[in-house]
Amino acid sequence: MCGIVGFLDKTQNSNAPVGQAILTMLTALGVRGPDSAGVALYRPPENGAFILRVKLGELDGAAEKGVSIAEQVGAFGFVKEVKTTAEYLRFVIDLQGEATPLTQFIESLDEEIEVVSMGRELEIVKQVGTPQNLDATHSVSTFLGTHGLGHTRLSTESRVDLSHSQPFWAHNYPDLAIVHNGHITNYHKLRRIYEQRGIRFYTENDSEIIGVYLADRLSQGLTFKEALDASLTDLGGSFSYLAATANYIGFAKDPFAFKPLLFTETDDFVAVATEEIAIRAAFGDGYAVREAQAKDVSVWQR
Amino acid sequence: MAEIICEGKTTRDINAEIKRLIASGETDICMRGPVARHNLGVAILQSVKLTFDGSVGYYCAGMVDGPTVEIKGSAGWGLAESMMGGTVTVEGNAGNGAAASIRGGTVVIRSDAAARLGVSMKGGLIIVGGNCGYMAGFMAQRGTIIVCGDTGEAFADSMYEAVCFVGGNIAELGNDAVIEEPTTEDLTFLESTLFQHLPAKVDNSQTVICNFKKVISGRKLWNFNKDERAVWREAL
Repeated sequence: MCGIVGFLDKTQNSNAPVGQAILTMLTALGVRGPDSAGVALYRPPENGAFILRVKLGELDGAAEKGVSIAEQVGAFGFVKEVKTTAEYLRFVIDLQGEATPLTQFIESLDEEIEVVSMGRELEIVKQVGTPQNLDATHSVSTFLGTHGLGHTRLSTESRVDLSHSQPFWAHNYPDLAIVHNGHITNYHKLRRIYEQRGIRFYTENDSEIIGVYLADRLSQGLTFKEALDASLTDLGGSFSYLAATANYIGFAKDPFAFKPLLFTETDDFVAVATEEIAIRAAFGDGYAVREAQAKDVSVWQR
Repeated sequence: MAEIICEGKTTRDINAEIKRLIASGETDICMRGPVARHNLGVAILQSVKLTFDGSVGYYCAGMVDGPTVEIKGSAGWGLAESMMGGTVTVEGNAGNGAAASIRGGTVVIRSDAAARLGVSMKGGLIIVGGNCGYMAGFMAQRGTIIVCGDTGEAFADSMYEAVCFVGGNIAELGNDAVIEEPTTEDLTFLESTLFQHLPAKVDNSQTVICNFKKVISGRKLWNFNKDERAVWREAL
């Protein structure tokens, strides 16, 4: 039992209070999963630079480790806005060349290090504990942007730590992130297929496969909507998941409608959540909500 | 009319207050600001009127016998689950498993119902003004489901003696569900029932009674017959 939420501002406003909306919804769903909380937030870039969020591992020595990484990645481009908060390093880089060698280099420095998110617009923060703790550490509620995802987790099958928390960035596919409520039953089979193709998995969490799968489909040339549609037949088990890229946000619900997911849409915004209680907490009583049906896929463009 | 302000109270406090008011003789109680919270108004066994002035969460009005419950917003999963008697009306949409396993009473959903509407119902009446989702009426044993709009897939799968009426399209019939011509009595029943519970639908002629399809069990799964192995293989 997890809680997932999504929000998109439809008014072309790049400074919508996305962080506040996601955090309020997530807090209302906190009882669905007290193990960890996380958000994936999107803000149009001021220039073409990449934003990286890197998990440094143990808190002890995190600051020094952060400084050291920021110095070393200078070889890949001009580095700015370097900041270490708790176990995260965040920096912006005017990248010269491909993004993948940079993330591979960073992760080769230390086995505890993981690039949690990379993209021109995407920033993921997640940690063990409640949504309120997440805000206290990372000031999520002040984030302005266009859209975002959120997740509060009740772990059922894999470890409770930062890496196993959600949202998951689809590693090496910039700006693609997912949040998932449910259980992917053909996870091991799909994982073997992807691993044979050389794709690295960072966790034992079955939800990680969704990002990998969508990245694969998008790389094959499918549109965002087509990729979500295809997942209905390729993923097994119970799922309601949300996915987002720089320009799109969307959800898919499994063919048996095992997992709840509701949404409301107005001229100004779209809000999606596991329970209506989240939408009421964030936006009040004035909007009609409906439960997504089995096999429903909906996609909205920014 | 008595009022309960839900804000700041726990669900247990609200439910205890409902019961306390009923015990003191109150017959008309309005819950202000339920903001989609779960488990409200459950196990009420008296003929009182309960109004929720907004949306409710999961399992609202479950296991009730007798009350008239009005929900001015939407309802989450398991609305009126295992209800014995009374009337539950939802202005908006209902989540999965609405009116599952009811044994009596009436559940009216003015807009849409999600998946597994009225599964395993053993009596009572369910009326949906809009559409219903996947697997409505699964294994329903008795009672009536009326859907004015369209249904999802696996409609009326593996039913016993329940009867369904559908005004719109049926995406797919479930195992052993068959369409039968409604009788004159059926049409009279439909007209009077809809006029009573969804008068706007009938007045505006949005709903043409004679277009309703009747769905019942084909009774092929009631008893095992080895000559019909193929039917069983398909169903299981």
